[in-house]
Amino acid sequence: MAKDSTARKLPETPLIEAVRRRAFGGGNPPVRPNMPIGSNAWLGVLMFLGAEAMFFAGLIGAFLVFRVGSAVWPPPFQPRLPLGVTGVNTIILLASAVTVRLALGRTQRGDTSRSVFWLSTTALLGALFLLIQGYEWLQLIHFGLTVSSSVYGGLFYTIIGFHALHVFGALLWLAVVWVKTRRGGFTKQSHVGLQVCAMYWIFVVALWPVLYGLVYLY
Amino acid sequence: MLRKNLLIVLTIVAVLLKTHAPAWACAVCFGGEGDSTIEGYNASVLFLMATPYLVLGSIVGALFFTYRRALKKRALAEAAEAGVQLAWNQEDSGR
Repeated sequence: MAKDSTARKLPETPLIEAVRRRAFGGGNPPVRPNMPIGSNAWLGVLMFLGAEAMFFAGLIGAFLVFRVGSAVWPPPFQPRLPLGVTGVNTIILLASAVTVRLALGRTQRGDTSRSVFWLSTTALLGALFLLIQGYEWLQLIHFGLTVSSSVYGGLFYTIIGFHALHVFGALLWLAVVWVKTRRGGFTKQSHVGLQVCAMYWIFVVALWPVLYGLVYLY
Repeated sequence: MLRKNLLIVLTIVAVLLKTHAPAWACAVCFGGEGDSTIEGYNASVLFLMATPYLVLGSIVGALFFTYRRALKKRALAEAAEAGVQLAWNQEDSGR
């Protein structure tokens, strides 16, 4: 510490300046700043995803109280959930996680046009997932499963509904990112907006198999 | 004065505990051992107990892997820069 302060106090004589110019080409030698391991946006979204995970954990906890606590599940006179169609829907949503990762990879390589293509594919798959789920909900309501019909209905629409809301939110975010990518807003060096959007999308997709296994299959 | 007040409070508490039997019961103590409702609550409590550790573990894991990746990236960048410096000579500098 004392050494540093002494070194800083050395007088800048013309001779020292001349030597420095000859040795380094003028000015102080370059100092490399510490590279950050990730952006602030990345860290913020990571924390946000932690909060989201806790929110869904609360919903799953409520579901477990009733599911494990019930001798008969689903309750009598309540329609059964469509496993096959939702299984296909699960595959569609899982495929969208692959395509969003491909979009991010293409941007990281500087191939914006392919990135736009994969982002479009992701958005289409996400929209298809929501459409199929909407159709499924209409059928279930038609068969008498409503929010107020039983605890079963209430839990189903709350958990699956909140997930659908998250997919819808992620879809809106993806649309904004798609527009920005198309306009060349993301480059090989700077694409944190796309990266955090992909993170959120993959979180929403990864959550779905857990909910599907719990609400539909368990 | 303080002792007198404390004595009054303790007396009131003792009388309430003695006379009001339902107050003894725990608000969530229902069902016997092996009851499905209790099992449901237990499953939920265990799940919610484990979740914060899972979430925090995931965040720490993400930070750890990103840090390692950043270190590798930096090492690669430095190696590339060192290569450039080795190729440098007085003639190339233009001075």
